[in-house]
Amino acid sequence: MNSIAAPESSKPKFSELLAHPDVKARWEKVRKYFFLRESTYDMSNRCNIRCDGCYYYEGEKQFAREVGDVEAWRELMKSEKARGITYVVLAGAEPSLVPELLEVCYQTMPLGSIATNGFKKIPESVGYKLHISVWGNDETSLRIRKAKNLLKKQIENYENDPRAVFVYTFTRDNIDEVKEVTEELVAHNCRLTFNVFSAPVGYTGNLRHDDESLGRTRQSMIELLNQYPRHVLFSVYNAVAHTHPKGLHDLYSCSYPRQNPSQDIGLGRSFRQYRTDLNWDRSVACCVPDTDCVDCRHYAAGSAVVTARLYRHANSLAAFKSWLDYVDTYLAVWVMGYEKGENLCNEIIEPPQAAIS
Amino acid sequence: MPASQDIQGIIRRVAEIIIDELKLEDVTAETFSPDMDLVDELGIDSMDLATIALVLQDEYRVTIDEDDYPKLKTIRLISEYIKDKLPVRH
Repeated sequence: MNSIAAPESSKPKFSELLAHPDVKARWEKVRKYFFLRESTYDMSNRCNIRCDGCYYYEGEKQFAREVGDVEAWRELMKSEKARGITYVVLAGAEPSLVPELLEVCYQTMPLGSIATNGFKKIPESVGYKLHISVWGNDETSLRIRKAKNLLKKQIENYENDPRAVFVYTFTRDNIDEVKEVTEELVAHNCRLTFNVFSAPVGYTGNLRHDDESLGRTRQSMIELLNQYPRHVLFSVYNAVAHTHPKGLHDLYSCSYPRQNPSQDIGLGRSFRQYRTDLNWDRSVACCVPDTDCVDCRHYAAGSAVVTARLYRHANSLAAFKSWLDYVDTYLAVWVMGYEKGENLCNEIIEPPQAAIS
Repeated sequence: MPASQDIQGIIRRVAEIIIDELKLEDVTAETFSPDMDLVDELGIDSMDLATIALVLQDEYRVTIDEDDYPKLKTIRLISEYIKDKLPVRH
């Protein structure tokens, strides 16, 4: 007779997790997008505002030559597609300043998103998700970003635009402003998600979080999520993962090449971060280069890093539901046409590795 | 319970699970080469592999360590990994 080892005693079988109809339905919904393979691209070395703590103007990448030739970009997109990339993130410094390049990328690679400050409207013919960065109310924006009436301008440009997701970045000193900003965005039927300021390498300014500000940030996130579930694209587990005293790398082992030497599979194999000269460097490649990895709580990083840890979250029903909420949120924020469902878990679940790492 | 725990039986079952989970249409368990590189030739990624690992864990009641995923590049390597983890028959 065969002797079969007992499974880890408290861990449910995967099939037992999927036996719950709501879990099974959400799993089937999100797994359709497992084909997404991302890379990121700096589009221009110019910006129309200058923000305290900007990642683009840190490190070497800001000095790369800007390639504005649309044919060069078309060829790059074709070669990216040929090596298996299915999703592009167009970022730094300010992509809206090069709309002709955005058009070319969209024509070749139909899935993607653009990180923009929202000051200049991106043509509607570019059908990517648009992530519009918000760093507080207009008074704070004027102080931190040297931009007057920025939120008003962002709303004017993107009200009722299905591409737009406003990304409110919590810093240590704008936590109390999120309520009024969210009210303003909801009043204009704008959808939003949350980001957490993560210090660039060497940053010494006062936006960096501490444990106290992270705790208050978590509380604000959950309150607003409960208050505006149709407009706030987030989950309780998003709040937990991004406001934990430990950063994303400590909690989930960052899978971007900068922290991951393996080139066998996943992001370590396929991810590249192109500079404006269309070159890339594996040793610094991640979603927001020049971030201090210890402090990294970026929404963009979590979207890949937390999502990749499916296995770890299949250890309890609550953890798996939380992971599904996280992935559902990530897809709603990043993929055009994907609609977020109701969150499955509203309990606070500790990240699986938090206690032992 | 798995139908067979000899290496050929495991290879066949792993192939069936991959076909089923990835909804592959132009291959059968009989025609699926156990030595095909699943990443290079089939294009599977880490999320696919994590899903397959969870289903295999259920089936064989072994733990497939997340850190071992990069080693599991073919059906044969996956099957040998599982066989090594199965208890010895008495």
